[in-house]
Amino acid sequence: MTSDADRGTYPPTEEMLAQPVPAEVAKAQADRLRKVWAQPPGWTYWSAVNNTEVGVWYCLTATFFMLLAGILALLMRVQLAVPENDFLDASRYNQFFTMHGSAMMFLFAVPIFEAISILILPSLLGARDMPFPRLSAYGFWCFVIGGIFVMGSLLFDAAPDAGWFMYPPLATEYGGIGADIWLLGLSFIEVASIAAAVELIVGVLKCRPPGMRVNIMPLYAWYVLVVGGMIVFAFPPLIAGDFLFEMQRSFDWPFFDPERGGDPMLWQHLFWIFGHPEVYIIFLPSIAVTAMIVPTAARRPIVGYSWIVLSAVGTGFLSFGLWVHHMFATGLPAISLGFFSAASEAVVLPTGIQIFAFVATLMVGRVRMIHPMLWIAGALAIFVAGGLTGVMVAIVPFDWQVHDTYFIVAHLHYTIFGGMLFPVIGGIYYFYPIIAKKQLSERLGKWAFWLMFTGFNVTFLPMHLTGMQGMPRRVFTYPGDLGWNWLNMISTVGAFVMAAGILVFVYDLLRPKGKQPDPPRNPWDAGTLEWTHNVPGEAWGIRSIPYVDTRYPLWQQSKMQERIDAGRYYLPDAEEGKRETLVTSVIDAHPLHVQRVTGPAWITIWAAIFTGGAFIFPTFHWYPPAIVSAVLAVACIIYWNWTSTAVIPEKDSKDAGLGLRLPLYVSGPDAVGWWAVWITMLADATAFSSLVFAVFFYWTASAQFPPDGAQFANGGLVAAGTGLVAGSWALTAWARRDAGRGAMAALAAAMLAACAGGAVLFLALWTTDMDPTEHVYPAMMWALVIWVIVHLIAGVVLQGYCLAGLAFGKITRRHDAPLWNSLLFWHFLCLTVLVTGAMIAIAPRLMT
Amino acid sequence: MSHDKQTSDARQFAEESSSLVRITAAPLTWAGHFVLCYGAAAVWCVKWPGPIGQMAPLRIALGLATVLALAIIAWLGWRSWQQWDLLDDYDYEHEMGVGEDRHEFLGHAAFLLSIVSFVGVIFTSLPLVFAATCR
Repeated sequence: MTSDADRGTYPPTEEMLAQPVPAEVAKAQADRLRKVWAQPPGWTYWSAVNNTEVGVWYCLTATFFMLLAGILALLMRVQLAVPENDFLDASRYNQFFTMHGSAMMFLFAVPIFEAISILILPSLLGARDMPFPRLSAYGFWCFVIGGIFVMGSLLFDAAPDAGWFMYPPLATEYGGIGADIWLLGLSFIEVASIAAAVELIVGVLKCRPPGMRVNIMPLYAWYVLVVGGMIVFAFPPLIAGDFLFEMQRSFDWPFFDPERGGDPMLWQHLFWIFGHPEVYIIFLPSIAVTAMIVPTAARRPIVGYSWIVLSAVGTGFLSFGLWVHHMFATGLPAISLGFFSAASEAVVLPTGIQIFAFVATLMVGRVRMIHPMLWIAGALAIFVAGGLTGVMVAIVPFDWQVHDTYFIVAHLHYTIFGGMLFPVIGGIYYFYPIIAKKQLSERLGKWAFWLMFTGFNVTFLPMHLTGMQGMPRRVFTYPGDLGWNWLNMISTVGAFVMAAGILVFVYDLLRPKGKQPDPPRNPWDAGTLEWTHNVPGEAWGIRSIPYVDTRYPLWQQSKMQERIDAGRYYLPDAEEGKRETLVTSVIDAHPLHVQRVTGPAWITIWAAIFTGGAFIFPTFHWYPPAIVSAVLAVACIIYWNWTSTAVIPEKDSKDAGLGLRLPLYVSGPDAVGWWAVWITMLADATAFSSLVFAVFFYWTASAQFPPDGAQFANGGLVAAGTGLVAGSWALTAWARRDAGRGAMAALAAAMLAACAGGAVLFLALWTTDMDPTEHVYPAMMWALVIWVIVHLIAGVVLQGYCLAGLAFGKITRRHDAPLWNSLLFWHFLCLTVLVTGAMIAIAPRLMT
Repeated sequence: MSHDKQTSDARQFAEESSSLVRITAAPLTWAGHFVLCYGAAAVWCVKWPGPIGQMAPLRIALGLATVLALAIIAWLGWRSWQQWDLLDDYDYEHEMGVGEDRHEFLGHAAFLLSIVSFVGVIFTSLPLVFAATCR
């Protein structure tokens, strides 16, 4: 490892930056960069992994699903336009409202955040690409496959129909495969969401340009960091819940069956621990877009940067204390409801602060009403109305009155349209010149806005009243003598006006713009780095990676643009013919090393197809092909890692420009891969914690858990099993230190110990008569052991990977990144196994 | 060697150069207090409620926990106030890419989060004041 002293000068001096780059040198550098980052030609285009390609596909796919879900909404509005209507029957109506909610949330709102972030985050940060382009591509293809599978079920009249929250017992008792499609299809997409979140967090923390300390990074990056963190902690409880739910549906393990000790309330808890942060997961990124547009419109830096960071971080935390406000009507103790009511009121503080900061910025700035600002203004108006009804429904007695009525439908659409859809569309108008190198029509934009804004309010404002008059949600029709008729008719008319607005927008988005001249490079006179993009477009991301020491470099650092274009800054060249970006330190963005990023590949698509098989085949109870798919998916991922990650470079370090020499290979906490493993494992540990929570939940919620006369896991075998796994962990740790010949023997022994440990833990339950279909207690114990065994298999695969790496020279003492990453996985695994041992052998004995 | 680097060294900023975690300390305290209140009330009201769901011992215990949480947050707020050091240069923008601005910014953000967390803990504990029984 090169020490700081022999890396060269940092930060660059003004004299260094002022030195011109000879024109012929600059041209040769640009040609090499262009060649390295070129898109694959012809049909191989689809193997691209660049953030600019994958991001666009991702956005368009999410928009497509949004349109489908919107059509479902229109059909429902037609059905509800008049009383006693028979346009849709009850069953189809149930499928439509379930899929409308599920698709809007899982196939549009969350993915569009990831899509837009993958698309624009690198340019906001002056990076060449995301740190793991192939992971983005893999996530995208998983999303496409899962989305088509879930939406496709509508065509076969087999779609889920138990509501977007899939409450048991309705969803567990219901016969068809709809619920399985929902559970497995959406779990698959959740995995892709977590993958994207990992990538975005690492991107913000490690891929900022040199000098961009945390106090000057774009607010969008702060929001991405917070939202990524929220995804890491909010999605896993739902994945754990899906796991329990699918075990019940497929194998009759009674997690949610009260007759055998289960409890449907557990699902509600796990669902809403995910479901409420989810609301903020879709809201914060849109507010982040607002935080980029407002300063540009006001032509001045944001007012209260620290206050907005406080808002983002504070909302991120508080949003986890709200989930029970979806369960106020379930009969929990009043004191518990009180805590959640209080937290639901408290979250208004940080949410409101950022809106005041935007208003303050507009007040003190010299506002120019650029078109995107129209959408932002509309968004703020709508969102404030939705926020205020939110304050109302956070009060328990009021909630009891309007629970499950159209009042809630109105409230949630006001928050989501104002807090998510309008800012996103404003953001698309704003960022379109960067994305497509063309501009959207301002005239059509105004049409779209006024149609949507009017249509939205005509649709949803009356719903407050419809709800107050007692119309329940999720009914496919209603009698004509309750006074709801004209309100419903108005809502239906409004829905079509709004749909017309969306059509105008989509037309503007997709219409051919070939004859339009190139737009100005920075049409809104914005101050942030993404506006250094090239027109016409270049695939290299940024010509050279600048040194940034202001919040609005284009306003505050003169000559920034010209020096970037001249290749004056870092990594202006690709002399080795590799795609590279710069990795910097977390807080101060000190340059650390040059990261080689991966290029086009088909393997990610294959990995996604087989991962899809592993999730989709079990829907039809076809387990052998599912297992084959899972094995092939793992094989693809191993191949992808082996061939393209932690590749030993041809030299130890390279000249990164401006007199800075940086290493090409790092391992451990310096490496982006290690951070990705760390964040992934946090998500994994959260899912496991949800299972542990379930055990305690059953203990508190039922009179007897474990039931009278229950058997316990064999204590001796549990001790032996956890001991073997701990031994395997210790050997892995030793192998990481040694990283030589001895490490190979240690890893081989560690693999054996892990396999033996898993088998012994299995026997600890198998040798008793604990039948998981009999009662929820044995089912829960088995669920923990299965969780551990699946993770042990992954742990053994990683050990084998490192063993092979050592044997074939992919891993050496100097190049030991896979060992570090595998050991990090094993730290978490060892802890998981120890906790599991305590949960199956000790906790039940204490609980009786 | 730049001016920036010297300031960093002089102020021993190194200790924070690998961690963003500190600004989350106050919200984490809020979260811990919240989970404790919710968990303790849930267990108490199922396992040991009196005939009419009395919970005086629970209220006292959680009241003490609230005082503790508020004290911790106040202390974190005081430390971050010192780190922000507003009265030294009246800087509340921290918009330059230098070590000092970053240092004060993290203090400023942590201070604001302490205030929100402090208010959050008070909000959370209000049901303990107003509700006398589990029902």
